[in-house]
This record gives sequence, structure tokens and C-alpha cells, in this order.
Amino acid sequence: MRPIDPRVFQALPEARRIMAGLGALGVALGVAAVAQAFAVSAVVVAVVRFGMPGAPGLLTALLALAAVFAVRATLGALNEAYAARAGIRVSAALRERLLARWLAAPVDRMPPPATASTLATQGVTSVEPYVARFLPAMVGAVVLPVFVVVTIVFLDWVSALIVVLTVPLLPVFAALIGRATQDHTERRWQALTALSGHFLDVVRGLPTLVTYGRAERQAESIRTVSEAHRAATVRTLRVAFLSSAALELLATISVAIVAVTVGLRLTYGTMELGAGLACILLAPEAYWPIRRVGTEYHAAADGVAALGAALDELADAPAGVSAPAIPTRFGTDGVSYRYPGTERVVVDDVTLLLPGAGLVTVTGPSGVGKSTLLELLAGLREPTAGVVSAPEAHLVGQRPLLVTGSLRTNLTLGLDTPPNDDALWSALDEVGLGDDLRALAGGLDAPLGDDGFGLSAGQRARLALARAILSEAALVLLDEPTAHLDDRSAGLAHNAIQRLARTRSVVVVTHRPELVELADAEVRLGGDRG
Amino acid sequence: MPRFGWEATVADAPETQQTTSAVVEAAFEAQAPGIKRAAVIGGLASASGIALTATSGWLIVAASHQPVILTLLAVIVAVRTFGIARPVLRYAERVRSHDSALDLLARRRVAAYQALVPLTPARLGRRSRSDVLTTAVEDLEDLVFAKVRVVVPVLGLAVAAVLTVLALGLFVPAGSLVLVAVLLAQVGVSALGRRMELAAQQDWLRARAEVARTATLVTGYAAQLRGIGAGPQSLGWVREAHLSLSVATRRLARARATGVALGHVVTGVGTILAALVAHWAMGVGLNDAVAAVVVLAPLAVGDAFVGLPDAMGAWARARGSEARLRDLLDQPPAVHDPAPLPDPLPIRGISPLPGDAGLPRISGGESSGSGLSIDVTGVAARWWPEGQGAAYDVGPVTLSIGAGEHLVLTGANGSGKSTLLAVLARHLDPAAGSYRLGGVDVTTVPLAEIRAHVAVVDDEPHIFASSLRENLRLARPDADDGAIEAAIRAAGLAGWFDSLTEGLDTMLGTGGRGVSGGERARLALARAHVSNRPVVLLDEPVAHLDHATALAVLADAHRAFAGRTVVMVSHRPDGLDGFDRVVDLAELADT
Repeated sequence: MRPIDPRVFQALPEARRIMAGLGALGVALGVAAVAQAFAVSAVVVAVVRFGMPGAPGLLTALLALAAVFAVRATLGALNEAYAARAGIRVSAALRERLLARWLAAPVDRMPPPATASTLATQGVTSVEPYVARFLPAMVGAVVLPVFVVVTIVFLDWVSALIVVLTVPLLPVFAALIGRATQDHTERRWQALTALSGHFLDVVRGLPTLVTYGRAERQAESIRTVSEAHRAATVRTLRVAFLSSAALELLATISVAIVAVTVGLRLTYGTMELGAGLACILLAPEAYWPIRRVGTEYHAAADGVAALGAALDELADAPAGVSAPAIPTRFGTDGVSYRYPGTERVVVDDVTLLLPGAGLVTVTGPSGVGKSTLLELLAGLREPTAGVVSAPEAHLVGQRPLLVTGSLRTNLTLGLDTPPNDDALWSALDEVGLGDDLRALAGGLDAPLGDDGFGLSAGQRARLALARAILSEAALVLLDEPTAHLDDRSAGLAHNAIQRLARTRSVVVVTHRPELVELADAEVRLGGDRG
Repeated sequence: MPRFGWEATVADAPETQQTTSAVVEAAFEAQAPGIKRAAVIGGLASASGIALTATSGWLIVAASHQPVILTLLAVIVAVRTFGIARPVLRYAERVRSHDSALDLLARRRVAAYQALVPLTPARLGRRSRSDVLTTAVEDLEDLVFAKVRVVVPVLGLAVAAVLTVLALGLFVPAGSLVLVAVLLAQVGVSALGRRMELAAQQDWLRARAEVARTATLVTGYAAQLRGIGAGPQSLGWVREAHLSLSVATRRLARARATGVALGHVVTGVGTILAALVAHWAMGVGLNDAVAAVVVLAPLAVGDAFVGLPDAMGAWARARGSEARLRDLLDQPPAVHDPAPLPDPLPIRGISPLPGDAGLPRISGGESSGSGLSIDVTGVAARWWPEGQGAAYDVGPVTLSIGAGEHLVLTGANGSGKSTLLAVLARHLDPAAGSYRLGGVDVTTVPLAEIRAHVAVVDDEPHIFASSLRENLRLARPDADDGAIEAAIRAAGLAGWFDSLTEGLDTMLGTGGRGVSGGERARLALARAHVSNRPVVLLDEPVAHLDHATALAVLADAHRAFAGRTVVMVSHRPDGLDGFDRVVDLAELADT
């Protein structure tokens, strides 16, 4: 992504306001710095020319100085507070938009979970300095040098001319250094990424290394690679630091030229002390905003990369699922599915008519796309051919989701209006889980660990089934709901599924013949399909 | 080879405990002298900046008296020198401080790694160990870079401040008194800022962690959440976490804003005081150019102090990282080693240890290609030392497993299956009872010796960023390509392996070829196979796989380890055909 990308303002409308607000604050701070230069030079003149004709009154000058510092303190504090809040506002908005997009798009359009999670956490956070520091610095860099030059013109046009001639050298110089070192830097960054990942890789693999007695030997390789990382990093940083030193030197030399001409004219008596002093104190303020852009860009570089990735995600055409009218008959018509980037057709031309209520089982050897068919019915995947018409479904996958929280939280996940406790218990009783869970301390408020820690696999599966019973979905999709259950529990669960199918359309993927026998219809996938 | 302090300590220490704590200390105390040198250079750079302002002011006021230009030459040279010195010295400081910090990072990484080894895996928490380890890596980095962000500016400013006070004191003692007052006030402001940061930080860190947790939940389970219609609800969790983060950030920003505002106030008040002192001094005959310097001094010093609130924030953050890292590293190991080996550990594979007197050996097993028997009598264990959790996490249980037997251990999630497996793997000491491997009481044999006979496959096997060959060969360094290939095929990866154009040289892991969950589980099985170890412990190896893949992997595991002793923890009652025995942990409990 380029440092300033118009997509930023389309995808993040709040960034525009923040850039304007923080930019204005930055400009106000710059103006206050100009005022400070005048106030300080007035105080110096008032002290060294005390009582002489033309010298400002000491008390007036000191009061002006106090006022300027009060304004700077206030603006500085406001800027700091506003920048932090603005950063959070932007990162929160970006994160929520990104997650909402992933929750709406077909699952195979989502990046792999590890990539997605990194982008949604650290990636989005690194955008904060970009929006809250870098963009406002850009505003300051455009406005403030002009303002400072105009101010200096009123004091001394020669100094203003020197500043006008030298200020543009800074961005030109920065661009030249940037271009000369770009290839070099990019090559280095690639090498750096590999080196800096080594320690994390070894540490994350520590349990494996300990198992095979290889842990202690890695200490030496950590030292070697860390040393190589150090050498490579310092080489890269040298370039970055050298360019910022060059810009500082350029600014210092420019100010020095202003100072020399002012000094000469003071010596010849063709200039007032106050004006000369003010010129010299003002001149650096013309260069500083431009140098600040470089510094802030250095800090925001990670954010630029992350923002580019996030904008790419958001730019992908939305799922295009306009909520269709609830169909009266649902099912699939000639549906096929192929995983993106692969040739193999997982689901091949399946036509399925589902009753408004009733139990349909889906069977077939492993790998014929039974689970994929359920995901197509649930709208999680987009068919590569054919049509799916189905109402909003409740899908219980093979690894039902249980979150850290109470039993109640987990039972009512996805419900708009949580039912009362009696309804929750009766759903649990229906799947034969009521007695087990009444024993838990806290009842429905009993905490469940991460991923349902504390429950057996069978209990987890039945909890998910109870959740399906509680859901109001007209279509319930169950993927191997009783694979983890012993025969007795499975029998109870099968009865519950059969009862559920009296009022709703239930599609079950299973390899249990007992359940297939209870079904109103059986769909066999693979082999002798027809 | 350069030697570090901890190496000598490790070699000399007679006791494991001492060795561990020495290594832990090295992870926090190792120093890089270059950082202090860099700070002094940074101080000189700041001092040059201050001197630049002061001499410029002197020059202008002196010039306004219209003297002969020659009399100003010395000051002109000084201005020029300071103007050039500041960026040059700043550049030197930045390069040196980063170089030293990376040097320090290298040393502390080695030390922290050494400290982590004896804590692995039992002290890394019961779940998501790789997340614990990732956090440790990040905390260590924060801690080290805090040196650049805190020590360099703070020490540097101290140097600049002392130089400025001394220099001004030569001309105007009263002026340097004002400067001292300004500096003390800046120290007070910084201390206040740091206190406020520390107070606000806990909430902020908690809020930030909650944002990460909810966002990771959504990205990790997007499909499941949508499947049950919980998408909007989960976005609500993220939104709530953002609200708390926003509140916590405001509090934290208040600390920073206060520091910035008070910094300006101190500079302003200091300049006014300095002006009054200069005014008084001129009344008693002070040169007006020097008076200008007195007025400008607090301003120049204030400019140098601008970065201080940020440094205080970094300091406060580093404290949090240090506390977290200490909590992790300051734990006692979960197993006592009756005969710790000298460091570094030689690679052994399964070859017997060089003879040391008195300790029993495990015999049999590896040479015959058959397993070892396991006898557990009244064994109980807990993850945390007594006091932290009173009850046992497992046991007491009694169980005998014959050599070469394939046994499945089932039971409710949380009933202690994994705890018992950790005892069998010698990751955890039994708190009661006895555990004999191949007829030998394990607590009398060097830890490394027992572990060298046992291969463990857990539910989050790590694939290193390396070639397929190296990923497997780490289980037995002397394994040849034939053995590695055989293990790959035995683990059910024949089809996958044949599709690799680069064969064993295929790069895996970060930056290499991605592997699916099923391939990862099978690679872990292949590792255990290559190791030739007589005992294989499988801790829910298929927990994260779908039903069909899980069954296939289990069948392959069973076939691949024929002849060896296999104990598998599983919470699935299906797919276990062919295992010799399925035991529910509840049935093993001693009464």
C-alpha cells in the first residue's frame, strides 16, 4: 500500500474526521510554537534591553510568555488524549468491520484462521499510529511550513527567501535517499523476517524438542541466529538512521544560513535585535513538521502493511447474498462444490428436496462431501454450480463450539431472546443431560472452561444438540451428532432428534444405522448415487 | 567462543534448583554495557542541542552591539560545531543503542530459553502451550527494548542536564540554580507520569487481552458461530471489549497528557524565573549576551525533555512484561531429576548413557524392537505443588500395561487422563505411589534416560520452519533417509509424500509448505516412529481432526506402532478397534 491511499477514507470514514481533527490540533500546536518564538524573543529583548527605548516591557513580555505556555500545555494535552482515543476508535471500527465481513462472506473466502487472527489483533492495532500520528503529521507538514514562511516574510523577507529555497530540499532529499536504499531495504527485511522468526519457532516447538532430547542443543543455534539477526538489523537501521540524520543536518545548515545573514545584518545595524531573534527561533519550525513525517512514518510502517491487507479484505466483493424471501420449499437444485484452487469436485450435482418438517439422513463413505453439503445448506459456502434455497439454518458441526462462560451462555448462544430456565432444563432433559448437569455447582450458571473443558466429548455433543432444540431455526443440520456417544446415550439423542423433526426440517449426517432407520428419507452420497 | 556468565554457573552448580535460578536470573539480569555508552553519546547529542540554542542566542545578542566580526568568530565556530555534532552524535547513539539492545536480546534469549527447558511442558499450563510460549517471546523482547526506550533517554538526559548545569554555573550560578529547580520539577513530573501509567495499565492490558481473545474467537470459529446464528452475538462481545478498551485507553492517555502538559508548564515557569534572575543579574553587571543564554536555557532543556513521557510509558509497560515473564520462569520444575546431566546434554537417541555409577539402567526394549512394560501402583499426581491446589488431579490409580500392549485410556474430559499420561512421560512427578518402566522405578533413573525411551505425541504438534527431513530427524539424529521415508509411509502419509516434488527437502512450517491438521498429526506420528522408542504416548492425537480423518489416523497409528507399548488418551469411544484394551480411568481408581 502507498503511504496515503484513498481507500483508507472510503473504508474508514472516521479516519477523515480524525485526520482533520488531529491535523487541526497539530496546526494549532505549530501556531502556538510560532507564538512562543515571538514571546521568547520579546522576553529576551525585554531583559537585555531593559529600560531602553523600543524595548518591550518585561512584565508584558512575561505575561505573554505565560499565556503561550498555558496554551501549548493545553493543546499538547488535548492532542495526546485525542490521539489515543482516535487510535482506539479507528482500530475498533476497522476490527469490527473486518470481523463482520468474515462472518458474512463464504467461509472459503476467509484467510486461514492464523492469518485472520493476526490481522484482526496485532495487525489492526498497528494501524493506530498510522491514523493517529502519521496522517495528522502529513497535515502539519503541508500547512505549517507555509504558515511559518508567511510569518517570517513580515519580519524579514531575506530569511523567508532562504527558508522557501531550502524547505523543499527536505522532501526531495528524503525521496532520493528512499529510492536509493529501497531495494537494499526490501531485501534486508525479507532476510530479517526469517531470522527474527527463528526464536519464536524454536520456542513454540520446545515441547517437541524436550520430548526428543534435543532442547539443550538449540541454545547454541539461538545464539548464532540471534547474532546474525543483530548484524542484519543494525545494517538496515543504519540506513534509516542515516537518512534521518541527513535531514536533520540539512535543516540545521539551513537554519544556520538564516542565522548568518541575520547576524551579519545585526552587526551592520540594518536589523532589529527582536526581529532577528524571532527569525532564528522561527526558522526551525518550518523544517520540523517535515522531519516529523519521516519519524512518524518509520513508526507507522507496520500499520501501513496491515492496513493494506485489511483494505484488501474489505474490498473483496461482498457475499452478494441479498436476504431472499423465505422459500416455501427448500433444498438444493443441481448443487456442486469445489474448494477454491482445487480441481476435485467435492459435492457433485446434488438435488435434494427437503420437507417442511421431517428427518432426512445423509450417508456415504468418508470424503464424499457430506459435511460440505450441510455447510452449503447452511449458507456457509457458495456453490460453484446450482442453487441452494434454504431458510436460516442451525448447523451443529462435528466439533460444536463451546465458549468460556456459563452453561447458560453456551446454551443460549445464537438465540435472540433467551428462554426461561425451565425451557433450558427441559431441553437438557430431552437429550439426557439434565441429571448430569444438575449435579454441577451453580446449575445453569456453572462455569465451563475454554472449549467446554470439564465436559466429556459426549456431554459436549449433547449440549450442542440441546442448543439446536432451543434454536428457532426452521432447518436444523446435524453433522455426526452421536458419533461420540455410547449406545445408551445415542439412543436418547436419537429419540430427541426424531421429536425435533416433528416440527422442523432436520438433516443429519450419520453413520449410525439406528438413526437412519428412524429417518423419513435417506440420501446416500457417493458410489451408487441416484 | 564468547562465554557468558550463566555458562560458568551452570557448569559449577551442584544442584539443579540453583542452576535453574541462576539461569532464570540471567534471563533478567544479563547486561549489555554498550547501552550505557550509547546513553552517554545520546546525552552529548542532547547537550549539543542545548548548547546550539544557547550559543546562537549569545551570538545574536552580541552581534546586535555591532562589534568587529572577528570577535564573534569563536562563537560562530561553536554554533557550527554544535549544529553538526547534534545529528552526528544522535546517529551514533541510535545505531549503538540498537546494536547493544540486540546484543542483549541475544544473550537474554539464550538464558530465557535455558530457563524454559526444565519447565517444559508441565509448567507451561495445561492448554494452549504455544500461546504461552509466544507471549514469553514477546515479553522478553519488550523487556529488552525497554532499555532503548527508557535507559537511553533517561540516562542521556541526566548527562545533558549535569553538563548544562555545570556550564551555566561557570557564568551565572543563580541561573544554574533555576535550571536545577527546572530539572527537579521534570523528575517529579516524570515520576507522577510513571505512577499514573502504572495505575492505569492493569485495566488497559486486561482490556487489550479481552479484545484479542474475542477477536481470535471470531476468526477461529467464524463458521461455527455462523452455523448456530451466533455471529451478531459474537460481534457484540468484540464491541463490548472495545468499549472497555476505550475507557482504559482514556485513563492511560490521561497519564501521558498530564506528563506533556506539566512538561510545558515547568518549561514556562522555568523560563519566567530565568528571565527574572537574568534581569536581576544584569542589574549587578551581567553581560547581556550571557543574560540571553540564561533566559533561553530552560527552553532548550525543555526541548530535550519532550520524549520523557513516552519513556515513562515504556518503563511502565516493561514492568508488566517482566512480572509476567517472572511468573512463568520462577516456577520449580515439575519433575525432580535424580541425576541431572552436565550441560549441554549430548544427543543420545536411544543409545545408553555413558556409564555413571550406582544408578539403575533400563534394559531391553530398543534392541529387540519391542516395548517396555509399565507398572503404575497407587500413583497420584497434581499439576501444581501442594498448597496451590489441594486435591490430586489424578489418582491414586493402579494400572499394569504389558510390553507391546496397545492401551486406550478414556474418561470424562478433566478426569485426569492427560495428567496420568504426563506422569508416564516423566513430565510430572508422581505425588504418591510408584511408577516402574521396564521394571525399574523411574524416580531412581536420570530423567533424560527415562525420557529417551518414551515418545510423546500431543494434540498440538509443532512443525518447525525447516525441511521435512530435519523435522523428522530431530527424533533420532542418526536416522537415514530410508528410515525417515519408511516412517512417513507408516504414518499414512504415502500419498502426500509422493506428491511432494522436492521429497524430503520440502520446506515446511512458517514460510514453507502449509500442512493440514491431519498431515500435522501424522507427521507427529512419523516422528514417534522414526525415534524407535519402545514406548509411545499419544495424548488425544486426533482431537482436532474431523471424524473420517481421525479414524484413518488412529488406524495408521495402531499399525505403525505394532510391537511397541502404546498408551493413548482419547475421549472418543469409536475408532479404537484393534487396540488391545480400552480402560476408563474411573475404573482404575484405588478405593
